[in-house]
Amino acid sequence: MSNNLRVKSSEYIDETTSVSFKFNGKTYHGYKGDTLASALLANNVHLVGRSFKYHRPRGIMTSGSEEPNAIVQVGTDSAMTEPNVRATEIEIYDGLEATSQNCWPSVDFDIGGINNLLSPFLPAGFYYKTFMWPASFWEKYEYFIRHSAGLGKSPTKPDTDIYDHKHIHCDVLVIGAGISGIIAAKTAAKNNLKTLLLEEKTQIGGSTIYQNSENFKIDNKNSSEWLANEINELKKLDNLEIKTRTSVAAYHGYNYLLARENLTDHLSPSEKKDKIRQRLLKIRAKKVIVATGSLERPLIFNNNDRPGIMLSSAVKKYADHYGVICGKKNVFFTNNDSAYESAISLHKKGIQVQAIIDIRENSKSAIVNEAINLGIKIYWSHTVVDTYGYKKLHKISLMELSNDGQSTIGSKINIDCDCLGVSGGWTPAVHLFTQSGGKLKFRDEDEVFIPNIYPSKQISIGSCNGDFTLNEIIKNSSNSLKEFLEIENTEYENLNIVNSIETDKRNIWLLPSDKVIGKTKPFVDYQNDATAKDIKLALREGFRSIEHVKRYTTTGMGTDQGKLGNMHALGIIADTAGVKMGELGTTTFRPPYTPLTFGTIVGRNVGEYFDIFRRTPMNNWHVNNNAEFENVGQWKRAWYYPINNETMDEAVQRESLAARTSAGILDASTLGKIDIQGSDASEFLNRVYTNAWSKLGIGKCRYGLMLNEDGMVYDDGVTTRLSENHYIMTTTTGGAANVLGKLEDYLQTEWPELDVYLTSVTDHFATASICGPNSKKILNKLIPELDLSDENFPHMSFKETSIGKIKCRVMRISFTGEHSYEINVQANYGESLWEQCMEAGKEFNITPYGTETMHLLRAEKGFIIVGQDTDGTMTPIDLQMDWIVSKKKYDFIGKRSLYRSDTIREDRKQLVGLITENPKEVLEEGAQIVLDLNKKPVEMLGHVTSSYYSPNLKKSIALAVVRGGKKMMGQKLFIPMEDRTINVTIVDPVFLDKENQRLNA
Amino acid sequence: MFLINCPFCGERDQSEFKAGGEAHIERPKQPTELSDDQWAEYLFMRKNIKGVQFERWNHAHGCRKWFNMVRDTSNDEIKLIYKMGEKPPTE
Amino acid sequence: MLNYKSSIIEDKKYSGLSIKEISPIMKLNLRGKSRDFLSTIGKNINMILPIEANTSSSSDKYTSMWLSPDEWMIISNNIIDKENNNYEIEELLFNKISKTNLGSVTDVSDQFVLINLEGESVFDILSSGCAFNFNEFMQKKGAVTQTLLAQVDIIIHHKEINNINLFVRRSFSEHLMSWINDAASRL
Ligand SMILES: [Zn+2]
Repeated sequence: MSNNLRVKSSEYIDETTSVSFKFNGKTYHGYKGDTLASALLANNVHLVGRSFKYHRPRGIMTSGSEEPNAIVQVGTDSAMTEPNVRATEIEIYDGLEATSQNCWPSVDFDIGGINNLLSPFLPAGFYYKTFMWPASFWEKYEYFIRHSAGLGKSPTKPDTDIYDHKHIHCDVLVIGAGISGIIAAKTAAKNNLKTLLLEEKTQIGGSTIYQNSENFKIDNKNSSEWLANEINELKKLDNLEIKTRTSVAAYHGYNYLLARENLTDHLSPSEKKDKIRQRLLKIRAKKVIVATGSLERPLIFNNNDRPGIMLSSAVKKYADHYGVICGKKNVFFTNNDSAYESAISLHKKGIQVQAIIDIRENSKSAIVNEAINLGIKIYWSHTVVDTYGYKKLHKISLMELSNDGQSTIGSKINIDCDCLGVSGGWTPAVHLFTQSGGKLKFRDEDEVFIPNIYPSKQISIGSCNGDFTLNEIIKNSSNSLKEFLEIENTEYENLNIVNSIETDKRNIWLLPSDKVIGKTKPFVDYQNDATAKDIKLALREGFRSIEHVKRYTTTGMGTDQGKLGNMHALGIIADTAGVKMGELGTTTFRPPYTPLTFGTIVGRNVGEYFDIFRRTPMNNWHVNNNAEFENVGQWKRAWYYPINNETMDEAVQRESLAARTSAGILDASTLGKIDIQGSDASEFLNRVYTNAWSKLGIGKCRYGLMLNEDGMVYDDGVTTRLSENHYIMTTTTGGAANVLGKLEDYLQTEWPELDVYLTSVTDHFATASICGPNSKKILNKLIPELDLSDENFPHMSFKETSIGKIKCRVMRISFTGEHSYEINVQANYGESLWEQCMEAGKEFNITPYGTETMHLLRAEKGFIIVGQDTDGTMTPIDLQMDWIVSKKKYDFIGKRSLYRSDTIREDRKQLVGLITENPKEVLEEGAQIVLDLNKKPVEMLGHVTSSYYSPNLKKSIALAVVRGGKKMMGQKLFIPMEDRTINVTIVDPVFLDKENQRLNA
Repeated sequence: MFLINCPFCGERDQSEFKAGGEAHIERPKQPTELSDDQWAEYLFMRKNIKGVQFERWNHAHGCRKWFNMVRDTSNDEIKLIYKMGEKPPTE
Repeated sequence: MLNYKSSIIEDKKYSGLSIKEISPIMKLNLRGKSRDFLSTIGKNINMILPIEANTSSSSDKYTSMWLSPDEWMIISNNIIDKENNNYEIEELLFNKISKTNLGSVTDVSDQFVLINLEGESVFDILSSGCAFNFNEFMQKKGAVTQTLLAQVDIIIHHKEINNINLFVRRSFSEHLMSWINDAASRL
């Protein structure tokens, strides 16, 4: 059966290689080079799906990416299955399994088909009108809609395919490798421009490459032969790259385009294994030449959607390119000359053409004459009024058109046929042009929108620019290219071109029939089942804007974005509303031009590469010593070090106790470090911190608080004066990059007069912080030559020293309240430093502790963590840190905001300590705090920001922000939880060692 | 994705830059002399124009320099780029 | 005695690409604006700092790279002693520049990891995760750029044709190396 639907050997189809595939569970055979659509047609399978709303049987309509009906689900594997694949684009391979998407339970027996019988009750806006009320019913409706609407199935498992991205920069990007794209690419590349030519199909050459007719000649050669020659020469050029199976998905501003290069979808599973499936090309082009061609329009008539009704150009392509007969008895229905090309091509192959039905009264072009001479029957000024056949077309009926084209006259003529090729003219494919921000204009004579105002360095050439004849395409492209590429001449200026010229035009957007429109089904949008009468209904109901009509009727809202029917929708609206099409405008085409898989968009940014991670120089040691890690910004920080299956709580209690009773060690390498040099360094610090810096002695350290201009705490850290004009600032781990950026901003824009230079040295240093009563002894073992006496090396001071020959900086500073030292060495010595600290501390049972213990220890001392106890709404006054705000300094960042009417309010949220009535009860961070449990609605006073069980104090402690909290010392408050209420009391936030005696212990 | 001509490094992809809000809002030299309203004007008020807008941009992942940009926010056309400290164009 | 341990242990080879860390290399960050700054540097290291954007200059001992109109990085061309991180040149420049308030001199030897990528596929790897336009860069020996690779800040110095030195902050180096290896495995 399949063989007699093949007409001839085609150079694009390898008839020696049979390919076996499954469609809807049944096995078929095609040839290498077939698309799923061509292979199905060769097997006489037209019925491929059901329509979205009425579930009418639908067949293959087109041969390209504009296909509205033949949308299939490829693959059955729950990881690899892909919905919304166009059968006209996917190439078959051994083992391909595809299923119709839009039918349930099967394409032949479709429950949703009942909607077709109910269709008088399913007008435009039906979903909106019906399912909106009552809202609680939506869930039930949704189940039904999802099942029957057939939106395809998402894969349920992670995609195992590999995807990649690639940035490409070129002088000239040519989109589309039809005849005009080939001319453009060759011209650009020959003029020494780095050129990229993209083609969505498997082969280049567009439709001209099989335009084998005496009526179309270039320099006395058939156009197909001439173009084949051009392609041969093109492939020899070396600054040209050609990518086929590559479709441009999006055209953004500044000539930035995204294209999907399809690398393996045409290969069998064994061939594609371990290969990159698709690559997203991120293209930046100096100039773009859009040569995307045009899309054939269907005609809008009653029952124009039956399987077997196809675009005339598709019928021709299946025969000429794939060698596949779409029907044994063919009829063409047209308003222009191009269907004659298809009819003649079929006729010459010995395929029966019953008739051509032409709505025009006459045409005298060369190609029409050829059809007449070949004896093909032509019905002038006739229209198809109905079609017959539920799952496959078998008959049409036609009638004569009245003079005004608004009604039919005479009697019906029936013609048996199994394939009806329709042509309503051509629509330039301006989608990418409009995506880029281009503005269209309407050309009245042939009712097309064509590019008018270009938003970037780009041109459109060929039929996407409204040039339809061979002569226009070549001559106009050549002229455009000369100007656009700024070149003297092209090799296409003086070609001798022969083509048939269309002599007559007639267009009727909605063709009449013998029935009133209410009784007909003239489909405008096949995928979304919008008919001409839906559009008319929308207009009757008062919709005027084309964008509103689109949403109300869902015209153009399918995955094909209405590539076929949009012009008819506009035409019908214009005719009905009595306005000009040019004034109506068009709907917006949005990226992607054709659907993209998420895999392609994501590329390699999955798994390990989903987000960046940063590691400290001591990371290996932490890993080898069983550390659990926590993400702090991009950093992987040691969180706690469980021993013998300890829980986090157990580990943190042990670590915290050790740090205060003997010695603990923390990897503090992640703190931001900024090297500050310059004669104005002290003045600079005065301006960026709230406290004063000029009098800080050399070799001394000071804690600083940095605000935003709005007075809110932004960052904090210790800064050390290394020499007269040299400081090293530390920032929080998460704030490092932002602080440096902010300080650079002030230096470059507000205070360019300051002589200050900032250099990040965060990654240059590894930092080990040793704390606890035995820290001094440990440091002494590590650096015996360093005098650690309080006189020589007091708290908040710094020493430059060395371990062996390796320089290091030691600061005696403390974030735990214990006697402690921070040792900084060059990062590549960091792991060794850590190991030696551990070695030196062994006799004191030095205990490595992570971020969780660090948080607990500082909370015992009431030290804040910016970002945990603050959230961008806390001033230093709110934090009870008035002591750090200089009263004397004239100005610093944020100073003025500290006495705005809002910041001086006494009932702002303020930082306080909380203790629980039951000392064992640990509060939840984020829990809300309430004064009056009975007041409704419950009034929230604030929330818990930090909360721990303190092993040193043997009780639960917490920091919280509470409205007016400063004046509420001793106040009892409530924390309502899901199952109980916790009683708490406000206390001073410093829980331990208020006298700071431990610092010098 | 804009293509931004850093006045120091040349044309670079937008991903290397950070936008920094409206340009030519100078930090008052004597903030403490200002009333709450005057300070709020500096601190909070921004034009956010549809049309030609003066903006600050930073080549954050390149030379780290700040510069000014005149951009039409309605079509993203970058009309002019000039260095910090240079006077904005008058028209 | 502290032991030296570089960030990346393993060299890698792929068809068209070999990857290795070069360490230890001394790296200094220099910042300054004045003519005196430039001439003092020039005199003391016997090399003119490049003032043209995106370029570098070299002497037999050092290479200096333009980072911004007032910022450069100088690196030693050869590997230095692992057991001593007192660099004469750092001390010299610090005394002549920082202490005289002509600008700043900062040791960033371990701030950056130097990864050398060599082979005909070098720019294919970069273009899979970097929006920078390498068309001219790849023809130009000595070119320098700062950009993003896989969202990580990098500095690239085009040493020889198809041979680049890539500088990445140490904490990001493991992630970036893993990413580069993953990309290279798909060549
Ligand atoms: Zn720059």
